[in-house]
Amino acid sequence: MRFSDYILISLQNIWRQKLRSALTIFAVVIGATSVTIMLALVTGAKGFFTSQFEANGVLQQVVVSPKADITNYDEAQHGGGGNCDSCVKLTDIVANKIEALPHATGLARVLTSGSVEAIKLGDKKLTVNQVKGYDTNGVITRTMVAGRDLDGNDKTGVITVSSDYADKLGFKSNYGSLVGKKVDLITRNWYTGIGADIPKPQMQPGANNEPNNKSTVLSATVVGVSDSNSDSQVVRAPLDWVHGMNMNQMWQPDEAYNQAAQEKCQRRTPGPCNVEQKLVLVSQDMVERNGYDSFVVKADATSNTAGLVTEIKKLGVGAADAQSYIQSQIQIFNIVGLVLGGIGGIALLVAAIGVINTMVMAILERTREIGVMRACGAKRSTVRALFTFEASLLGFLGGIVGIAVGYGLTRIANVFINKQLASNSFQVHNIIALPLWLIVTVIAATTVIGFFAGLYPASRAARLNPVDALRYE
Amino acid sequence: MLRFKDYAYGNKQKRFMPNILELRDLSRTYKLGDEVLNALDHVSLTVEKGQFIAIIGPSGSGKSTLANIIGGLDKPNNGTVQIDGQDLSKVRDNKLSTYRNQHIGFVFQSFNLQPHNTALENVMLPLVFSKLKRSERKKRAKECLEAVGLGERLNHKPDQLSGGQRQRVAIARALANNPSIIIADEPTGNLDSAKGAEIMDLLKSLSKQGITLIVITHDMNVAKQAQRVLEMRDGKLTERRG
Ligand SMILES: Nc1ncnc2c1ncn2[C@@H]1O[C@H](COP(=O)(O)OP(=O)(O)OP(=O)(O)O)[C@@H](O)[C@H]1O
Ligand SMILES: [Mg+2]
Repeated sequence: MRFSDYILISLQNIWRQKLRSALTIFAVVIGATSVTIMLALVTGAKGFFTSQFEANGVLQQVVVSPKADITNYDEAQHGGGGNCDSCVKLTDIVANKIEALPHATGLARVLTSGSVEAIKLGDKKLTVNQVKGYDTNGVITRTMVAGRDLDGNDKTGVITVSSDYADKLGFKSNYGSLVGKKVDLITRNWYTGIGADIPKPQMQPGANNEPNNKSTVLSATVVGVSDSNSDSQVVRAPLDWVHGMNMNQMWQPDEAYNQAAQEKCQRRTPGPCNVEQKLVLVSQDMVERNGYDSFVVKADATSNTAGLVTEIKKLGVGAADAQSYIQSQIQIFNIVGLVLGGIGGIALLVAAIGVINTMVMAILERTREIGVMRACGAKRSTVRALFTFEASLLGFLGGIVGIAVGYGLTRIANVFINKQLASNSFQVHNIIALPLWLIVTVIAATTVIGFFAGLYPASRAARLNPVDALRYE
Repeated sequence: MLRFKDYAYGNKQKRFMPNILELRDLSRTYKLGDEVLNALDHVSLTVEKGQFIAIIGPSGSGKSTLANIIGGLDKPNNGTVQIDGQDLSKVRDNKLSTYRNQHIGFVFQSFNLQPHNTALENVMLPLVFSKLKRSERKKRAKECLEAVGLGERLNHKPDQLSGGQRQRVAIARALANNPSIIIADEPTGNLDSAKGAEIMDLLKSLSKQGITLIVITHDMNVAKQAQRVLEMRDGKLTERRG
């Protein structure tokens, strides 16, 4: 017998009992559809979250935060600031220790500054939430749409902006023109960092000291425009510059000089001695006091991030990798997937029983025909193969229809999810996809289920004694 | 197909026809509880190529049991079945199936056509289990149906055919693979005498073409047309007329 004979005969037999075959296939379809949607949903969600991270090599990164009890990546990234009870200051010493750990191939110190209020180019002025500074050593990279990313030669006076900013500054679809432009970073009032012009207080009694309640304008050159992502009100700058922005500069009496002057005066003229106080501009390094906001550590491989997290945590600081964050984000999809998968699994089990039942019935009905086939020279193995094939075909057809129905349902689901994503300004859509491997897997699985369900009935058919089968009424 | 060197020579003194079939001391028993039923009791038989033999006997005497063993549908408990020089009592199911496919054509009392298939498809069935190409199968099946006078009924289903026509389809199916032996177990049992006579004429014409024909029957009118008549009684076979 040829393979085409098996197909033809099986199809004929399935067609013969239309209703029964349809019901049997329907059960397979329910299972296949549930499993299809489950797999599509979970892989779609995983793919979506992973792609959000993958682009910048984030999957290979571990974020270190001063908070020891940090559990997820997102928290670690935003949980900066060294003012909590269980916090460990992120110093250069800690950074060196981490960099010396096995599987750590690089480390970038991260420091944010909230002292810039707006970015201004010509008459356009946009709000800035923070300036993010980091070691431009290649550990943290951005996907650029124009210009270049920050690099190791950058110290001060350069920034990169997201394409969102570029759009709003009037460079939509013309990002290249923004590159090389000088923009103004306008600080908040009371700015005391680098570049601030802090008036020296007048120490004479009765002097009217102007408070430093004015903002400073820092000039910056845009060297690149990065691909937009969700934290769009952020300007990126080299670490040194942000370090400087966070300096706390103030005028203070020069105690040693003033003391000496006082003594010198008293020696000369007894009685009260009014010496002019000398003031010096000191700058307090806030990083020295509070440490860095966070570190980003690059592991040598994605698979080693978890181990690196454990090692880093031993130093008393908090650490998390994106993997666990992605996991926690897709938890909900996993649960929905599990429920659907459970339903699908049960449906497939019921479907398998349905296939067994259908095939046992078919064999009872066709006992005499099996006898005739045997008399005409069909081998036991041919009869077995024929019925196993027929059962597999039921599963296969169920899988095909199930994929078709699943495809329709995911298309509908995508319409709703797209709306949701668009309202959250994500630039992705149709995240629930049916990749080829999924289609092949589902159809193969239902076919295999049909195959296994057909084994018992088929072996019964093959075992039939031809003489008895021919006499069967 | 038969090759001359394989032929066994029997009755050399009388004729020089090769024996196609040699049964020796065949026994077939059925166990029914404690009782043992001898459906075939030391049966021996030699049939020459192209002979037409009839086996008669009362109901339950073991005629069908014998036919099934000759046809390779059943195996004896004891004894040997030499067909074409090969001992069927020893071969495995796979080989027996191939033997049925290549050497035997069955014709049954109740026709045993596949009810959902057309006459053409029914005749093609033995060809499906052979190695023929699909186009050749169709051609051969058509030839066979034409040979039994049903060239105009290729696409009729069994329930659209008369009893006589159904048995013709069955004979065409038996012919499909060019068998050396046709075994007909009560081929006229379900037909009236006129139709039965037509079927017997058809079978006899095949016998004339060199196919060995074994007909099992209750009907003496059928039996007397054969070259030899054998009688089965309680599992024992005796020659009535040779
Ligand atoms: N599968 C079986 N199990 C037990 N006994 C059987 C079986 N098949 C046949 N027999 C017995 O073997 C004996 C011979 O049966 P067989 O069918 O060969 O008779 P037969 O001569 O063909 O009869 P009929 O003319 O009625 O067809 C009978 O007594 C029958 O009851
Ligand atoms: Mg009988």
